[in-house]
Amino acid sequence: MNKNTKRLIYALLVIPIAYVSLLLVIDFDVNNKRPILSVFKMLQKEGSQEIVDFSIKGKVDNFTSNPNKDRNPYYGDLHVHTKYSFDAYVFGVTATPDDAYRYAKGEGISHPLGYEMKLREPLDFYSVTDHGFFMGMIEAYADTSTEVSKLEVTKPFHNLNRPENLTVDSAGQRSDIFSSVLGQAILQPYPSWHPKILKAWLTHNTQLALKTFDYTTHKSAWADIARSANEHNDPGTFTTFIGYEFTTSTDTEGGNLHRNVIFNSSKAPIRPWTRIDSLNPEDLWTWQDALREKGMDSVSMPHNSNGSNGQMFESETFKANAINKAYAEKRMRNEPIVEITQVKGTSETHPLLSPDDEWADFEIVDYRVGSRPPTYSKPSGSYVREAYLNGLTLDFTQQGNPYKFGLIGSSDTHTGAGAYDESNYWSKIGLLDGDPENRGSVPLKKENIERLTQYMEAFNQPISTVDINGRTFANTGFTQWGASGLAVAWAEENTRDSIFKAFKRKETFATTGTRIAVRFFAGYDLSSIDLNSDSLVSQAYNKGVTMGADLMHDGDRSPDFLVWAQKDKNGAPLQRVQIIKGWVDSNSGMPHEEVYDVACSDGISVDPITNRCPDNGARVNIKDCSISQDRGSAELKTIWKDPNFSSTNKSFYYVRVLENPSCRWTTWDAIKAGHKPREDQHETIQERAWSSPIWYIPAKSEVDVIPLGGSVNVIGND
Amino acid sequence: MKSKVLIFFLIGFILYLIDIGLNNDDNKSIYISDQEINSLISAWKSQVGRVPNEDEISRIINNLVEEEILYREALLLGLNEDDRIIKRRLAQKISFLKQESLPNKPKRKELNAFFEKNKSKYFVEPVYSFTHLFFSSDNNSQLRSQAAFNKIPNNITDIKSDPFFLGKNFADINLKEIENEFGNNFNTYFKESNLNKWSGPFLSSFGHHIIFINDYRSGFYPPLDVVIDKVELDLLAEKKEGAINNFIDDVRSEYTVIINPNLRIE
Repeated sequence: MNKNTKRLIYALLVIPIAYVSLLLVIDFDVNNKRPILSVFKMLQKEGSQEIVDFSIKGKVDNFTSNPNKDRNPYYGDLHVHTKYSFDAYVFGVTATPDDAYRYAKGEGISHPLGYEMKLREPLDFYSVTDHGFFMGMIEAYADTSTEVSKLEVTKPFHNLNRPENLTVDSAGQRSDIFSSVLGQAILQPYPSWHPKILKAWLTHNTQLALKTFDYTTHKSAWADIARSANEHNDPGTFTTFIGYEFTTSTDTEGGNLHRNVIFNSSKAPIRPWTRIDSLNPEDLWTWQDALREKGMDSVSMPHNSNGSNGQMFESETFKANAINKAYAEKRMRNEPIVEITQVKGTSETHPLLSPDDEWADFEIVDYRVGSRPPTYSKPSGSYVREAYLNGLTLDFTQQGNPYKFGLIGSSDTHTGAGAYDESNYWSKIGLLDGDPENRGSVPLKKENIERLTQYMEAFNQPISTVDINGRTFANTGFTQWGASGLAVAWAEENTRDSIFKAFKRKETFATTGTRIAVRFFAGYDLSSIDLNSDSLVSQAYNKGVTMGADLMHDGDRSPDFLVWAQKDKNGAPLQRVQIIKGWVDSNSGMPHEEVYDVACSDGISVDPITNRCPDNGARVNIKDCSISQDRGSAELKTIWKDPNFSSTNKSFYYVRVLENPSCRWTTWDAIKAGHKPREDQHETIQERAWSSPIWYIPAKSEVDVIPLGGSVNVIGND
Repeated sequence: MKSKVLIFFLIGFILYLIDIGLNNDDNKSIYISDQEINSLISAWKSQVGRVPNEDEISRIINNLVEEEILYREALLLGLNEDDRIIKRRLAQKISFLKQESLPNKPKRKELNAFFEKNKSKYFVEPVYSFTHLFFSSDNNSQLRSQAAFNKIPNNITDIKSDPFFLGKNFADINLKEIENEFGNNFNTYFKESNLNKWSGPFLSSFGHHIIFINDYRSGFYPPLDVVIDKVELDLLAEKKEGAINNFIDDVRSEYTVIINPNLRIE
């Protein structure tokens, strides 16, 4: 045996030995909660959890607390974009957070097309929530003097300002930008040897690894948003929240999982947690939990579940694991409320999911958010009512209930100014839908038909115009959008803390932009309250629970429900109040839903067979949008008992308040321009409000439900 | 003499040739950069999900070329000149430019001057505290409230009124807030009503009310220090607005505006 052969044998022996010992090390690491990997992890710093005080030096609030223990309804919007959002900037929006807050307080601000946007009545609270992802960066791309604008991928942003590409034609460009920004094109990392990669790893800040990202620009945009919120916060009069949008999605199915995050403080983390950190919403909640540990509370609010292609309220987690109690608790700890309505559609329910609900076909937008060309979003998993039912089912199988959330509305405007009024509507994306022709409510002029057709060809888009009874309209998808909505909190006073607490306990309701107000209580002794007593509300608080809360079982007793709704003083009178019930049958596990009319206008009684109010005769004159003056009620009030109550079924109850019909914005647009309304659109709508549910919690069943398979750890302790 | 004329003639001819040469080059060549093509291809890729094949690439480039040709031809025909949309966009671009170059934090003196000039904006509104009897419009409010009002001097406890959605007693609320909560110009009645006396019935958006004002605090102008943050914000906003207006004012004198004096607006 010569020396060389010996060496070869040694070498051959070393390989399997090294391999086996590596496996042993990994096995040890994995089975002992990763002590080895965690040594490396200790080198990392959680930069995203650093808390910065953004409060304004020397700002004094002259505020004397005067809480109302019966609580007041405060109206606001928690979904507002300004120029710091990557998409808003390319739509020509220059409104700053300061402009947005001024608008909410009642001042007029300018639309990118030049006209004034002004509220009829100021709002009580507002939150500027720009996309956290690439926040402030697009401004830097468009400005050709910056370092980052010299990168190749930022070129489309320069092009955007080419005059011939703007206005209606740029809808294609917009989608292009939208999909390329959210897609891979913009995510250009440095080569792996680059020191910035190491820095990104050490600080847990993936964004630093991107050539297209400039941390200083990003942080200064965030700091300006926080400063503006603090500057405009005026306890007792007007409340602001520092916030942003976590714009995530599922990677393959294009399911939008967007959420807004707001903080209950004048402090905020040093930067927003974004989709570059992680696409998985669970990681957002982990971050929120970590901040909460440090004393900073926050809530995140999913929105546009209607455009999520069934992903927002799935029966499994983002990584397709089974939902368990730990997941459900974590989700509910961080996401107590959901945005049920906004410009891009209403997510209460869908006619395919609730075929027996005559009001289910309301402002439905059933394509995926940002999809190009528009792609169908499947209803199941995308709507709130079904999510409540699925939550009960998950609870039934002992996996916890991750869908026990309250409701708010908001606008998602990208102009800084929400459009909540059907008769004065500017949609949401600035230059692209800021006038009736482009949003499809009045016929196109000849030259605009040509322009639109050319652009569609250039951008490989489906046909962009539609002929209806001999008239040609823009078919850009904007006709499905609507003048919605508002978030309402029942709070003791108009302060950040008081309103935030209302979000946490889900004592909230949503409206479609109207200022309906609604009270909702449940308890076992509410029928003893005199509905004409001045102390009605305080008695109801004492004897029952209100919206957002749990009603515990009391033997077999059937609870009383008290509803009191008041109309918008500038809106149409009320037509009816409904209670929507959902439950899971404790014997079969089958989910069910039912809509009950509980109070009708004009002193009419509910038909006990159909559970419906007869027609109150209110009509709309489509020629001028005037409505019947003598029909409908200023307020509706009742105590109701569930005729089919079963004390063993897990159930939820929420209120829907309906106004008399009034003109939809498409009709208003047409009339104001001297045209007939477009025949394929709803001419009227019924503005409405939805309360957060009250959940009925039955006694713990003596039967343990064991789902087939049984391998799932329903508790969720790993 | 003759040679001088000839030299001038020659120089002129050379200049003419150079001119032709330059103009030809400038007008009719289309330069497409690598980056432009790459960025179009990456957009295509992000949309379709794969790299375009050769045919598709040539179509993409061809589209780009055609667009550029049409764009240039349109410019030659002057089609850009009367396009409102192009005008508006260019006007907007220059406005952005002018707005971005803004001065920093205003000085105290400036704030003071601005505050004095806009004092009314910072006026703290007068506030009322009151209680009321409410009669819902759903239940014959006019008759009931009038009957109740006539009864007040005798025995107020006998009056059957309705509970009001937002409550019975209101403390320290200003006229704007009253209007927001009651509607229908309800706040106008407060100016005419006396303290510590039942007045009404007055119509709101929800029915009739008989009101009893038990406290009134008149409005006042706060000192600058109390509202300085707000003043600063407003001043900066005004400056931003002003930047464009100043620019327009500067160059306006160079323009003559001609409008048909006999135009009739229908």
